[in-house]
Amino acid sequence: MRRLLLILGSDVRRHLKAPLPIIIFILIPLMMTGLIGMIFAPRVEDGQLPPIQVLLVDHDQGLVSKLLVGAFDNDQMKKTLQVTVTDEAEGRKRMRKGSASAMVVIPERFTLDLLDARPVTIEVVKNPAEQFLPDVVEEFVNTMAVVLSGAVQAFAEEAKGIRAMLESPLGSISWEMLSPQLGRAQKKMIAAERYLNPLLVRLNTQETTAAGARTRFTQADLFAAILPGMAIMFLLFIVQTLMRDILSERTDGKLRRMMTTPLRPLELIGARLLGGWVMGMAVLLVMVAVGTLVFRVAWGPFGDFLLLGAAGAFWTAAFFALFHALVRNRNQAGALGAPLILAFSLFGGSMMNPEAMPKAFRAVGILTPNRWFIDGAALVREGLFPLAALIVLAGSGLLLLALAVPALRRRISE
Amino acid sequence: MLEIRNLTKSYGDIQALDRFSLELGKGEVLGLLGPNGAGKTTLISILAGTLGGFTGTVNFLGRNLFADRGLKNRLGVVPQEMAFYEDLSARDNLLFWGGLYDVPKAELKRRAGELLELVELAGRAKEPVKNFSGGMKRRLNTAIGLLHRPDLLLLDEPTVGIDVQAKVSILEIIRGVGAAGTAVIFTTHQLAEVETTCSRIAIMDHGRILAQGTLDELVRIVGERDILEISGEFAAAAFSGAVRELAGNDVELLSVADGLAVLAVTDTEQIPRVMGRLFREKLAVADLKIKTPSLETVFLRLTGRSLRD
Repeated sequence: MRRLLLILGSDVRRHLKAPLPIIIFILIPLMMTGLIGMIFAPRVEDGQLPPIQVLLVDHDQGLVSKLLVGAFDNDQMKKTLQVTVTDEAEGRKRMRKGSASAMVVIPERFTLDLLDARPVTIEVVKNPAEQFLPDVVEEFVNTMAVVLSGAVQAFAEEAKGIRAMLESPLGSISWEMLSPQLGRAQKKMIAAERYLNPLLVRLNTQETTAAGARTRFTQADLFAAILPGMAIMFLLFIVQTLMRDILSERTDGKLRRMMTTPLRPLELIGARLLGGWVMGMAVLLVMVAVGTLVFRVAWGPFGDFLLLGAAGAFWTAAFFALFHALVRNRNQAGALGAPLILAFSLFGGSMMNPEAMPKAFRAVGILTPNRWFIDGAALVREGLFPLAALIVLAGSGLLLLALAVPALRRRISE
Repeated sequence: MLEIRNLTKSYGDIQALDRFSLELGKGEVLGLLGPNGAGKTTLISILAGTLGGFTGTVNFLGRNLFADRGLKNRLGVVPQEMAFYEDLSARDNLLFWGGLYDVPKAELKRRAGELLELVELAGRAKEPVKNFSGGMKRRLNTAIGLLHRPDLLLLDEPTVGIDVQAKVSILEIIRGVGAAGTAVIFTTHQLAEVETTCSRIAIMDHGRILAQGTLDELVRIVGERDILEISGEFAAAAFSGAVRELAGNDVELLSVADGLAVLAVTDTEQIPRVMGRLFREKLAVADLKIKTPSLETVFLRLTGRSLRD
């Protein structure tokens, strides 16, 4: 163990003395994540709001609800809100598909209850994938609720009259009946603000649970979706670069010299594996730290993510131990290693969303560490324990290790 | 201290070591001379424990060298390659390689400082080795093999590709190590190196020792004869044919190649006989040198090849 740690310490010291390859392999994924995130994240340009798609369901069909619908539909609001009046079933279906930012549901008896000064509730269903746009709708409805509540309380007497008229045939309503109501209303409008509390109209805000829209989607979410894929891809590159030492040491005689000392082949193999793992973990932690501090990525429970990272780094170290036991020399390792990592990354989802891939690609993807790491990271982010990813990465890593140790041992003794 | 018996190793049809046997005592410095392919590096690799697939026995300090891993702590190896980390400093390299042996940390640090002084690298101990000259690297390569004060030191061509000053320095170190009681085996192509450094010289070819002894003992193999070195524009076969009739006790053809031949003659009176014969056979002789016997002559006589071959 002493010799194993000695080799490990020496390896780390050597790599830290010539850190350029490691720095490059850390910077590239971070830069790529930053660029992709900045290019593809949803955003508002030049302070202009994009048109907000709003679905409006009017179960009431009464005077006030029609006023509310009219308020949504006035020329000024049309610049911001594109309102579609629909029934509730259709509205919810469209919300699940994510084809609108929010849906406003006006309940039955809204007008009558409001005029009777009974509390009523307007439901606002928001689509979290639309970032802040549903909040604009919510604020608008909230404002309308305040106005309506104030109006009904301030004009309670008049409201009673209007309530009575609503139950009369339209032809029986005369201007003589309305004028006293309007006269009183005029006086009260001046002091309306004093009567705005408590609100009669309340909001019930919900969020849709459509797939992919469980949480609010921000630029940080995009970074969080990209960075694990980039991290595992460049973890593969870094560990491959570091473990390539096995081949150069074999060529330049260092390995033979080590074997003239009391060092056992197993200690050397252990040191190389541990070295790959330690460096992999260190690089991963740097990426996590930068991801958190710069990109505001929320990784989920850190312990779970650390466990996943450890399993990913272990798989990578074991894989490249076997890889370098099988290839002939450093040049061959370089020539085969990079395409292999790129294939892992392409099929495993480091380069594109697996959902966007052809079915065959997705099937191949489950054979790559990238896919399991990315899926595991997504689960951790949602607060779930990535058990399957851990089992697959650690289990297949152990299998690779079992194959790598005798192969490397043979290689060292050659 | 070291007893090698019938060590045999082959690579396919090529016999690298053929029942090789050798004994070496404490403080002896053995120079192993041989042309390329003689089996020198194979021998060092087997003794160092980096080459398997051989037969024979090697006892070191009374124990089987290959069965007792602890003996590796008593064995120092200086390979032909510059086997150390170029990114690390000389001191870090010494501490790393020394750390692989069972040497206490404090002793290792002290020993590293001592060796840096010995190989004249103390002033640049903290500098990355990649900045060193070839000679400095060779000296460091040698120092690494000495860290744990081995009882047996194996050096495989430790002076290849370095300047005279560095070569002298390394040979001085080897002499000093031997004087301190460490047995040394070192292989080389350079006759002058073994002449000045070794207490014993072994000449090997085709995997076997052809002759061994002190320099004087080896030179006596050729005897009190004069050596003729003849050069010109002639074919080896034609030269051999021309002197065949003269061959006997008085004239011996030691080696011949196209344009160069070496003969041993019992006295200078044989020289006109030889030259007359060559002229009669119309061989174009350009130059004749008369030399006294040397290790090179011995080597030529035993191997029929120059060390440069």
